Amino acid sequence: MSELELRTVAVGARPRVATVRIGTVLAVAFALYLLLACLVPDAVAPQDPNQIAPRDAFSPPSPAHWFGTDESGRDVYSRVVFGTANSLLIGVAATASGLTLGLALAVLAAFGGRVFDFTVNRTIEVLFAFPGLLLALLVIVIAGPGPVTATLAVGLSTAPGYARILRGQLLAVRRSGYVEAARVLGHRPRRILGRHILPNALAPLLVLATLGIGQAIVWASALSFLGLGALPPTAEWGAMLSAGRPYLATAWWLTVFPGLMIVLTAVASTVLGRALTRVRAREGATQ
Amino acid sequence: MPALPSRAARRALLPLAASAVLLLAACSAATGDATGTTGTAASGTPVSGGTLVYASGDAEPDCLDPHVGGNYPQALIAGQYLESLVSIDDNGRIIPWLADSWEMAEDGLTWEFTLRDDVRFSDGTPLTAADVKATVEHVQDPATGSSTGYLALGKVAGVEAVSDTVARFTMTAPDSALLESLSQPWLAIESAAGIARGLDENCQAPIGTGPFAVDGWVKQDHVALVRNDNYSSPPADAAHEGPAYLEAIDWRFLPDSASRYAALQAGQVQVIDNAQPDTLAAAASAGTFTEIDAPRPGASNRLELNSGQAPFDDALVREAFIRAVDVNDGIDSLFFGTAERSYSALSSVEPLGYSDESLFGTDLKKANALLDEAGWSEKDANGIRVKDGQRLSLAFPVSTNQSIPAEQSLFEQVQATAAEAGFEVVITPLDLSSWYGALFTNDYDVVSAPYTKVGPDVLRILYHSDSITPAPSGYFANLAQLSDPELDSLLAQAASSLDADERQTLYTAAQKRILGSFTVLPLYDQQNHFLLSPTLHGARAIGTVSTPSFYDAWLSE
Amino acid sequence: MTPGSASRVAARVAGAVFVLWAVATITFFALRLIPGDPALAVLGGPGSQASPEALEQVRQQYGLDQPLAVQYAAMLGRLLSGDLGQSYALKVPVADLLGAQLPGTVLLALAALAVAWLLALALALVSTGAGRVAASLASSIELTSAALPHFWLATALIALFSTALGWFPPVSTGDLGGLVLPVLTLAVPLAGFLAAVMREGMLDALAQPFALSARARGESAIGVSLRHTIRHAAIPAVALSGWALGTLLSGAVVVETIFARPGLGRTLLQAVTARDVPVVTGVVLVVAVVYVLMTLLSDLVSALVDPRRQAVAA
Repeated sequence: MSELELRTVAVGARPRVATVRIGTVLAVAFALYLLLACLVPDAVAPQDPNQIAPRDAFSPPSPAHWFGTDESGRDVYSRVVFGTANSLLIGVAATASGLTLGLALAVLAAFGGRVFDFTVNRTIEVLFAFPGLLLALLVIVIAGPGPVTATLAVGLSTAPGYARILRGQLLAVRRSGYVEAARVLGHRPRRILGRHILPNALAPLLVLATLGIGQAIVWASALSFLGLGALPPTAEWGAMLSAGRPYLATAWWLTVFPGLMIVLTAVASTVLGRALTRVRAREGATQ
Repeated sequence: MPALPSRAARRALLPLAASAVLLLAACSAATGDATGTTGTAASGTPVSGGTLVYASGDAEPDCLDPHVGGNYPQALIAGQYLESLVSIDDNGRIIPWLADSWEMAEDGLTWEFTLRDDVRFSDGTPLTAADVKATVEHVQDPATGSSTGYLALGKVAGVEAVSDTVARFTMTAPDSALLESLSQPWLAIESAAGIARGLDENCQAPIGTGPFAVDGWVKQDHVALVRNDNYSSPPADAAHEGPAYLEAIDWRFLPDSASRYAALQAGQVQVIDNAQPDTLAAAASAGTFTEIDAPRPGASNRLELNSGQAPFDDALVREAFIRAVDVNDGIDSLFFGTAERSYSALSSVEPLGYSDESLFGTDLKKANALLDEAGWSEKDANGIRVKDGQRLSLAFPVSTNQSIPAEQSLFEQVQATAAEAGFEVVITPLDLSSWYGALFTNDYDVVSAPYTKVGPDVLRILYHSDSITPAPSGYFANLAQLSDPELDSLLAQAASSLDADERQTLYTAAQKRILGSFTVLPLYDQQNHFLLSPTLHGARAIGTVSTPSFYDAWLSE
Repeated sequence: MTPGSASRVAARVAGAVFVLWAVATITFFALRLIPGDPALAVLGGPGSQASPEALEQVRQQYGLDQPLAVQYAAMLGRLLSGDLGQSYALKVPVADLLGAQLPGTVLLALAALAVAWLLALALALVSTGAGRVAASLASSIELTSAALPHFWLATALIALFSTALGWFPPVSTGDLGGLVLPVLTLAVPLAGFLAAVMREGMLDALAQPFALSARARGESAIGVSLRHTIRHAAIPAVALSGWALGTLLSGAVVVETIFARPGLGRTLLQAVTARDVPVVTGVVLVVAVVYVLMTLLSDLVSALVDPRRQAVAA
């Protein structure tokens, strides 16, 4: 099994087809758009996302309302834009907490000696036996539903996967020639760890994070959909989708556009992650 | 998987293609095919046999015996296997059911009900007055934990079985609402032997005289009902006699409203309840399905303002809130014309209901003036009013089981419009148990709590100061915490008055006081819409609490 | 079987038992952290206004008045005899409840796994073998499928195949037709992941000398793919099947809810909302058992199909 779980999303990095680069360009453009929507939503969105206008409720997409209006007449496009910060924040925070926990476990395993390595490995194995959303649901039973719980829950669910990959990285670097050389040169262990091992082992963190954010958003939105994460009327994609689903028969745009944003974000995050992997591989080859 | 477009659509276009599929399908769902007819068609000759699949969007009951607790989901299903002493016809008249006739003593302190002598329970034992006695005692026993039935029997001191067919009710005071109360499924007659099995067993499968009987209950999935072949007790307004046409009913719980309608469209189920407003609009334009619109009797759906604590202990603040919020546009758009705005505390099906539109006009200026007058004249950075360091914040727990999505959206609009006057409304969506918890601990300022009961006596249950004291189930019905001696006396007199005109005068006076207290913001009738497949005929909602009856129903090919 | 492999199998089994014990222990202690009185939860939660006597009776009935260590030991003892306790909300034995739900969910998950495998294999073959356009199309499909949230896909499938076309029912009640849409919902995203892994395996294989020599002998690219590389694609995919089944079981939470299909996932969601601790514990344990068994199995199968490990397994 080893580190296959997360590598599944990391593969596909081979620059086999030229079109992938077009995909990368599109993904970068989309990521920039998301960034703008996060930082200056007012500039991107035409309207106040929470301004109700019951008389304009359920308007289909039009030049005035690109993504239509929702059940209270709010502009869906503006809500999608303002929801970017909420949804991305949940994705980023979940990934960050998952990576932090995973890294802590990995460092403990790689440098804490055999006992720690053994303990951490068993811990990871046990955490894997709570697959998918199960660990997240367990956290929610204990702490109650809500966006913060959902974020931590998703973060915790991803931690064992990260821990396993990072442990492998750390071990590989520790055993590599230049670390050995540094040791022979008499550098102190802490300096070796700080100067040589961590920088090399942690470089894939960025790639992992990029790949992970997309999936974290998909998971967190699933929790919102089940009513266990962000709640309406919060402008969050999963919550918007959940609030719009009852109106599927009459107002498809309430379901389609927030869902589309989740999918596009996850795709972009994977494309960017793979592009980063390629860049690293190329650098590795030229060095 | 959907068929993929060839060359043109590449890479990044694929998610768009997927969404176009969704879009396309959703559009065609909205238009549908316009064959079929509307109207309650009892056309053709009834055919015996077949299983009706009913998809309920209401919460699955914890207990199938409506004596326990006593809520609407229980009433919906219990109407299939339990029956009451009397029923109510389409014109609102009380008609015989299990009781052939009844008589009240001059002083109104005793009633004698004469039962039909040919009725058998689904287990084959005959119905006698002892079963009526056992039913009333069961409801009044605190250990049963009855709420709705218990409150309705408040004036019944006891029941005596005078003979096998005569049950005598002894009252503590005259009760003009007794027959209306007894018509409800929460006071339906159960077999004494069934009750004697104990609460747990009786909850699984209560034994009644209805056209169907409980055959099994797979929790979180469905209740299986089978035809009661001993059946002989249709109410006086039924269309046929003898056992029901349908062989069985598969009563399924399908909480997701979109799935429920999709299942009806796909022909997997023949009836759905709690049809959502947009679904009704779509179904109406498709014309395939028959709609039964049966508003529940008793109270209207309304927001109640908790006058028992700050800030709504101040009548000025209550009036300001009611003047500030705007719900009319929201009701129009969210309910697609399926619900009409109400200005009464009572359902539009209650003949004694009193409306006063003038009390509920939205007037932001006036709201602001009232709040200034009440001393809430400062505003904080977020535009929320402040007084003595306290923010003008209102807790609004919402039961996600009882409020449909459209209603929850309407509450968001209440929140948004109240904010313009400087109210901060904190909406908390809660499951039913936590919601009751919030009410018991007084953790609410605004609440919407539907209450169904036949007749205007519901006003006594909802607004008499006695109802601030909880029933054995723990529920207290006076959520406005209105404590007004004059109102108490009006309601008590009306409930004892056996004169129709006097009753009307008293109830009108009582309703004026209630509406004038600004503790109530009426919204619309308690919505109760069913959609029926074109293959189902003869189904109807009965006149008591508008639950569906499938006794006369039959399925065509 | 050599002594070495016997001891290795013993170690694997011991590891599996350890994982299950740890899952039970973590779940037991974690769920003690729920704020509020469990006895109140049994009686219907904060809304029940239960009397002190009733609470006391429930504490005795469920052993909640015992010290934590005693409760823990009792729980482990019950688990060994297959007793998962009594549901708070439904008042029925959890083992009976889950026993009735398990087959439906396992059927759903296994069917989805099989379909995901086939879809992934097709995608991987096209993206490694066929022309450039087909390949980039296949990899786009792979990318997009992996990003599809279950609830969105399910909604789209219902709108298309139930409401518009009327081919499959939107509510899944047990017959074969009702299984199609839930299975597709679970299979498509998983296929995206599996296809990526398989493609990697195939590209590795195609770069190896035997594939090159086969090409040199004049075999077609597709032929080489089919003959030599499927096996290489299968290796990582088989290894992932334990993980995949686990995610499918948790994906069942969403899918069973949308398709109103009785099963473990829907039961779990309702138990989470009602904080029905015994049922949550039960589902977690059942899923852990399935996951552990599947992992053991896929390790075994990997050992059989992986030429690099065949020598060891033999």
